[in-house]
Amino acid sequence: MRKRSPARLIVALSVAATLAIFLLYTAIAGSGTATIKPSQLTNRAGKVQIVGTVVGPVTGNEYAAGGKRFRMRDIGGVKAVPVVYHGDVGALFKPGQHILVTGRLSHGVFVAERDSMLTKCPSKYLPKKS
Amino acid sequence: MTELGRAALVVCLGLCVYATVAGAIAAHERRRRLAVSAQNALIAALGAAAVAGAVLLTALLRHDFSFTYVADHTSRKLPGFYTFSAFWGGQEGSLLLWLLVLLAYAALAVYFNRIAAREVIAWVVPTLGLVASFFALLLVAVASPFETQPAPADGLGLNPSLQNPYMVIHPPMLYLGYVGLTVPFAFAMGALLSGRTDERWIVATRRWTLAAWTFLGIGQLLGAHWAYVEVGWGGYYAWDPVENAALMPWLAATAFLHSVMVQEKKGMMKVWNMLLVILAFCLSIFGTFLTRSGIINSIHSFTQSSIGPWFLGFICLVTAVSLALVFWRLPLLRAKTKLESVVSREATFLYNNLLLVALCLTILWGVTYPLLTDAIRGESVTVGRPYYDFFLRVFGLPLLLLMGIGPLVAWRRASWSSLKRTLWIPSAAALAVGLLIILLGGGSSLPGLLAYSFSAFVLASIVLEFVRGTAARRAVAGGGYLPAFADLVARNRRRYGGYVVHAAIVFLAIGIAGSSVYQSIYETGTRPLRPGDTVKVAGYTYVFRQLINRPNVGNHSEIRACFDVFRGSSSLGEQCPGKNFYFREQQTSSEMSIASSWLTGEDRDVILGGVTKNGAVFVKILVKPLINLIWLAGFVFVVGCVITLWPDAREERRLAERYGEAGALAQA
Amino acid sequence: MTTFALVLGALLAIACVVFVSRPFLREPAVATDGDRLYAPDAAARRRLSLAEERDRALAALKELEFDHRTGKISDDDYRAMIGPLRREAAEALKALGG
Repeated sequence: MRKRSPARLIVALSVAATLAIFLLYTAIAGSGTATIKPSQLTNRAGKVQIVGTVVGPVTGNEYAAGGKRFRMRDIGGVKAVPVVYHGDVGALFKPGQHILVTGRLSHGVFVAERDSMLTKCPSKYLPKKS
Repeated sequence: MTELGRAALVVCLGLCVYATVAGAIAAHERRRRLAVSAQNALIAALGAAAVAGAVLLTALLRHDFSFTYVADHTSRKLPGFYTFSAFWGGQEGSLLLWLLVLLAYAALAVYFNRIAAREVIAWVVPTLGLVASFFALLLVAVASPFETQPAPADGLGLNPSLQNPYMVIHPPMLYLGYVGLTVPFAFAMGALLSGRTDERWIVATRRWTLAAWTFLGIGQLLGAHWAYVEVGWGGYYAWDPVENAALMPWLAATAFLHSVMVQEKKGMMKVWNMLLVILAFCLSIFGTFLTRSGIINSIHSFTQSSIGPWFLGFICLVTAVSLALVFWRLPLLRAKTKLESVVSREATFLYNNLLLVALCLTILWGVTYPLLTDAIRGESVTVGRPYYDFFLRVFGLPLLLLMGIGPLVAWRRASWSSLKRTLWIPSAAALAVGLLIILLGGGSSLPGLLAYSFSAFVLASIVLEFVRGTAARRAVAGGGYLPAFADLVARNRRRYGGYVVHAAIVFLAIGIAGSSVYQSIYETGTRPLRPGDTVKVAGYTYVFRQLINRPNVGNHSEIRACFDVFRGSSSLGEQCPGKNFYFREQQTSSEMSIASSWLTGEDRDVILGGVTKNGAVFVKILVKPLINLIWLAGFVFVVGCVITLWPDAREERRLAERYGEAGALAQA
Repeated sequence: MTTFALVLGALLAIACVVFVSRPFLREPAVATDGDRLYAPDAAARRRLSLAEERDRALAALKELEFDHRTGKISDDDYRAMIGPLRREAAEALKALGG
């Protein structure tokens, strides 16, 4: 008596179960955070993450009430957006550094979420220095 | 000397291409001398690559800044240690390291298997040659380490964050892992191309896969420890794409290591094993593509470079060709036996594989999601930590439990009565631990509770295995318990070495659960701390004593905020977190203070956030229970892998006899 | 320096070419029959496949005994499974010629 191998059934059920869990999760938890460039911020509502280059002058203290103030522009771009930030500033933070911050645009100023700054680790694969 | 380096790389490329083309012709037309010639070409390619490597290394050690690579990654004041590791500190050098490791693996794997896997080797050589040709081509045409420039007075130096011992060991370990996965892949292709789809290719590559998997695991643990100790944000894994790039092939390789056991014992899951090894190899190349191309925003910034499209093209080629080969040889990959019961060891291996692959693919989806949304919507959407944490629990916790159940289930078909008998002790242990956790107040987190209970289950089942096995051995051979134990492990290295590795994974799980779910965090609010201020966290008392300023410590300046630590009334010494500022590189690094308790495995991490003008500080204090189990797990992992890898004379003899028998009648 | 490098490079290239040509230099004139890659004939392949089956059956037998002795398999299950396994092993041994 030859029984049909249950292996195929198990695999099919597992795939279905995984997809179900997955869809359920994304439906409940919602999608992630969009990452955009500072130049794409105009009139954008809601929480986003922006990636760009820090532009000076840098004023204020990230732990004081007023927060740290600086500007960010697209990597390779020109137009800069003012940013106010509270919390841990990455170790490599300085004008010219690539960073990512999460927050919202409010009255033309990007208000960052606390501690959301990511400065990128030292680049191993920089192109030739100009 | 750059001409010598460039010439060596061109020679290497030529040899790799020859190995590929000549090897393929020789395999197809069954020409012996040409096949040996192709094998020699691989070995010669290793020699040529070694010459190129020697040229680069010499230039580094001699501070020859006419080499653009040397100038970009070192400086005169850089300690020798780091000048050496600058070899793999940049794109071009790390590609050369990859090529060297690849050719070394290739030469050794081919040499050691040239008799036992004779029929398969003929096609393994051109496969390895093809992969090596790709990397050699990159080095010759796209990213050469031998660019020259008018020599500046001094180099740019190595970024201070990379100046620690981890830079010397973490990348080479990872490479030994990543690159090592090429070997089973090449043998799998060899098996498909030669039509010899029996166990030979698995038996030949078993140790190589295991070694690569071990290195990849250790490399990741080293990276996690590096992140924890040096980067100073209090964590060890951020689900960063570059971290995931190493985790995904490791998970696929873990699944593969398990499912090959089923193929060896039952002749089943042949197609599945082929697909798994292709997946593991493609993920390792994909991983290095992610890391190098700068295509994904991650905390590891790798700016857009031209190398991305090359890797992408190579991955597409490899995937297409290998899947076509599998499809072509499908008739030869028919299973000899079928799965008889959903409650059998074969079935638990299948479940283990499904869970591992599911986890691997969810991580892959999370990593590529930004790329896909960018392509479709024009802006990239990143998935956050909660996504990964969720799926790690959904797939990881059942996997943990399975580690304890699998070894106790019989092959083919396990009856419920047998299961009840073997599982009741581990189940009781799990329940007991679970109740204890709830009583101790840890019941607030269900994942944590489950993780600990399941860990108790697995550890109990492992201990039982050793105990029962020793008793059985003693019943047969007599003598004392210790000799019986040693004999048991020696005779069943794969099984008991595997149990030790499972124990390591359990320690890892306990450490991860404790340090994440049960950690305590304090963060200074709006009012900074002044000398004399006290902070209480998790039963510890921190008193801020003073701020120390050291403006000239070699190549950097330091600020340290010193705290006296007490538990109740007893003093636990001091902790002085701070920041360093490096003059030449104009960069700050955060120096987190870690106080470890080896008795409880707990860590107290203090991070200096900010310092105000009048010397008041903002700090973050993390108390992480059981985190040191993670690092202990690394050592146990190595021990287990060494046991499993240890050569077994008896087994070697049997294999030699098996393959020798068949070969005895053949011509040379 | 440059000439030195070029000379080294040339030496490297020559050494590699020689090493790669070694099989042809050692056996310059071999009949096509003598130049064949090892390939087992049908009988050898059959013998190999039988050897694998024999090893697999013997290993399964050994594992069953071990699992029984360590208590993973009850006496009833053991009795039920040992018969067919022993038969498989015996058949494999017989097919190989004992």
